[in-house]
Amino acid sequence: MNTRTKEAIRYLGYGSRAVDDKTLALVLESFDELDRVAEKRIIYRIFPLTAPETDWLRIDNLKIHSRNLSRNLRGCEKAVLLGATLGIQTDRLLKRYSYTDMARAVVLQACAAAVLEENLDRWQTALKEQMKEEGYYLRPRFSPGYGDFSIEHQGEILRMLDSAKRIGLSMTGGNMLAPTKSVTAVIGMGRNDVPCPAGGCECCGKDDCLYRRG
Amino acid sequence: MLKERLGKEILFFDGGTGTLLQERGLKPGELPEAWSIARRDILVDIHRQYYEAGSDIVLSNTFGANALKYKGGAYSLKEIVRASIENVKEAAVIGAKDGREVYAGLDIGPTGKLLRPMGDLGFEEAYEVFKEAAVYGEAAGADLIHIETMSDTYEVKAAVLAAKENTQLPVFATMIFDERGKLLTGGDVPSVVALLEGLRVDALGINCGLGPKQMLGILDEVMKYASIPVIVKPNAGLPRQRDGQVYYDVEPGEFAGYMEEIVRHGAALVGGCCGTTPAHIKKMVEQVRQSDAFSHRILPETVGKTMVSSYGRAVILGDRPVIIGERINPTGKKRFKQALKEHDLDYLIREGIAQQDAGAHILDVNVGLPDIDEAALLPEVVESLQSITSLPLQIDTVDEASMEAAMRIYNGKPMVNSVNGKQESMDAVFPLIRKYGGVAVGLTLDEDGIPGDVKGRVRIAGKMIEEAEKYGISRKDLVIDVLAMTISSDPGGARVALDALQAVRETYGVCTVLGVSNISFGLPLRPAINANFYTLAMQRGLSAGIINPLSGDMMRSYYSYCALMNYDDNCKEYIRQYGSASAPRDIPAASENTQIPLGTAIERGLKEEAHHAAAVLVKTTEPLDIINHQMIPALDRVGKGFEQGTVFLPQLLMSADAAKIAFAVLKEELSKSGAQDTDKDKVILATVKGDIHDIGKNIVKVLLENYNFDVIDLGKDVPPERIAETAVREDVRLVGLSALMTTTVVSMEDTIKLLRKTKPGCKVMVGGAVLNQEYADLIGADFYGKDAMQSVYYAQKVFEAEADRSSGER
Repeated sequence: MNTRTKEAIRYLGYGSRAVDDKTLALVLESFDELDRVAEKRIIYRIFPLTAPETDWLRIDNLKIHSRNLSRNLRGCEKAVLLGATLGIQTDRLLKRYSYTDMARAVVLQACAAAVLEENLDRWQTALKEQMKEEGYYLRPRFSPGYGDFSIEHQGEILRMLDSAKRIGLSMTGGNMLAPTKSVTAVIGMGRNDVPCPAGGCECCGKDDCLYRRG
Repeated sequence: MLKERLGKEILFFDGGTGTLLQERGLKPGELPEAWSIARRDILVDIHRQYYEAGSDIVLSNTFGANALKYKGGAYSLKEIVRASIENVKEAAVIGAKDGREVYAGLDIGPTGKLLRPMGDLGFEEAYEVFKEAAVYGEAAGADLIHIETMSDTYEVKAAVLAAKENTQLPVFATMIFDERGKLLTGGDVPSVVALLEGLRVDALGINCGLGPKQMLGILDEVMKYASIPVIVKPNAGLPRQRDGQVYYDVEPGEFAGYMEEIVRHGAALVGGCCGTTPAHIKKMVEQVRQSDAFSHRILPETVGKTMVSSYGRAVILGDRPVIIGERINPTGKKRFKQALKEHDLDYLIREGIAQQDAGAHILDVNVGLPDIDEAALLPEVVESLQSITSLPLQIDTVDEASMEAAMRIYNGKPMVNSVNGKQESMDAVFPLIRKYGGVAVGLTLDEDGIPGDVKGRVRIAGKMIEEAEKYGISRKDLVIDVLAMTISSDPGGARVALDALQAVRETYGVCTVLGVSNISFGLPLRPAINANFYTLAMQRGLSAGIINPLSGDMMRSYYSYCALMNYDDNCKEYIRQYGSASAPRDIPAASENTQIPLGTAIERGLKEEAHHAAAVLVKTTEPLDIINHQMIPALDRVGKGFEQGTVFLPQLLMSADAAKIAFAVLKEELSKSGAQDTDKDKVILATVKGDIHDIGKNIVKVLLENYNFDVIDLGKDVPPERIAETAVREDVRLVGLSALMTTTVVSMEDTIKLLRKTKPGCKVMVGGAVLNQEYADLIGADFYGKDAMQSVYYAQKVFEAEADRSSGER
């Protein structure tokens, strides 16, 4: 079973238990459908990063107060802002299935999340190689809305990326990304290769989470 | 005057502004519009350079000057727009010294928001935003309105309508395509051309996104469909990234070379977008003027194509016949009428999806019933359908107000059913077609009724074509329905219709449409007559039959005809349809060989089997018995398994979907017998304002419906007022709210507060990713559902308690 399949099954709440055949078949079909329909797009820009005070940081003109992000970016001198999406057709497909086949809609939603992450990982690996040549090391990506990195910064990040025009990525009045299967994030760039702290589930305090990895 | 020059001579736009401003210190994310006042000298200087380079039209620095993007600036929007136009005018005086006539264009860019139903910006809200800028622009003295860099057909429609309804200025509109000729929102070239020409912009085209080289192919595609002047404004090449910064690398000389080619391929207005500079424009103007590109441009012969469109695709009538699905229509259908009365839009939507899956190209939408507020319902159904299907719709109503309401919010260029030869009808419908765009179905009847002979029908068709022309509506936007009369009462009905069909085609060269299914009314084995008549009509030149695509007979006629007449390459479609099936079947079908009991089918999530078992059972057992003794126990077992962790969410939902299908069978039976569904307990479900993630809410909905609750689904991004108002109007005792993030939990709290005030006693249950018991308590919810089953149990508890209380009272 490949990584994205495992991830999708985890998102569906199976934890460590084995997936049933019918659901697995749905998962595989959904990946097929997404490979046809999803329009994977990623854009990024690199900005200078400064940390004028403790827990305050500045990415170009964007000022952020966040302890978690400050820790994540410690020792970095630049930051990558990125926006990624699977496009509006994925939302339409989800909507359509929610009328005709709710099980498929739920599975498709989990698979879409897995595809989005997979695409970002692949892209980040390539960027890591490229930046290494220029003498930079990348930190794990960190998204607004996680920890104390306020979701209120979503709008500024989208504007700095010009994301609506470039990849059709915008947000709602509640700072929620639209299309829904989208991500924005910050990636620190430093001259030193600090040992990468465990990312994702491992650093989250909610250890009774249904969707926790491992 | 600009309008007179359009398409008759080559006109030049300016080039990029953003790149030049960034060079002078504008930061990414900073509002460039503020510079129109704060750094006025710089803007005037840039505009001047473009006029000096030879631009005829220079655009104001107002790309983001709308209430949604320009926020928190030091100046008001009105001041910004006025100053921006004044800058261009001032630059014209110093820059265009050769006395040539030049123009200041009000530049309008996208709002940066996604429109409903996929995003949260309402169509009319978008309209207001564009209207504000357009009105300021005209007052400031703009010579034209240039709407550009649009990637959403719906947003561009709002912008064009706002500009045309509120100003007298010429309106141009250009959109961003990718290399495959697609918009970011999925639309293709013909769908965009159909929409914009329907809205009667003065020029349309493409800008941004691509370099001149890549745009050439897109331009050729545009030229195939466009019959108005075309604008091309490429970037200086494809965007490249260096250190994460975007730059463009096509130099002025190379740019000019491509632009000459672009003019040769038919563009009448050219300029540059991102990365282009006064040097690019200067070279382009020189080279194009020196060449014979414009006078010798290749213009494809513009045969006006009859096109309807949605946000995603265009359907062209006239060559290969197309199918208009007839099933979204209450006429003669009890179950459908009941769905309309219950405001069960899901039922209509599923009818739409089924027809699309069966091969329909356009969907007819008719929701007219006495006692129904059609002017409110029709647009709502149109919007719902457009969130799940890219098929163009045929707006079918006799009510003028409903027609306009639906045409206004329709995303694309609709088919409109119908107009007829009565003066009153033409006076009502043609102005709408002129304003919103559309293809009207013209019925050959007038004040004297339906002529019995071919000549009479042809005459009325001619009258409608002539009258439409008075409105500037060309005959490509009129398709004629010669009306097929039932042969059991009018024996010559089919023959007259077929002859008239052919005569109309030959006399006027217009496309035709025909409601096929009425022909057999009152006869046995109707599908046989219908299918044969359908084939005959196609043979006589029927462009679009309004049929039931779920009928195997009709589809066999269709695919056979296409295969026989060489409309189906290598019979591919025919083979795809029938190649593997031993006997093509009508839809829906249930496998006949299964004997699985209904309960088991539901537990295992087997849909076809559940359908079959329910269909068999309902012949011998009362629907309510089936629900209470077979379905609910099965669902309970699955729900228990889910709680114990032996059944997982996808399996729970497969069971729910199977149960839903069985319910549909029972419901069909109930409405056939005219029996009323027992009074069901009403529950409102909504994803709160600002939140567009509705999968959690949809899961709860399916399960509640399984347990026979009457779910009023208000959808996503629902304002508190609408929830409260519905709760009061429908006297609802339980409301379920869903929110994904902390920012939208605030809307949840607002909703609860409002409900407490307006509908005391109404319980509120909440759920969603960020919620927990503590949070739910904090915002004053009555119940926190940690998963979907918990919501079902809570709903049961609420209504059981109520039942106890009311029986106690008695």
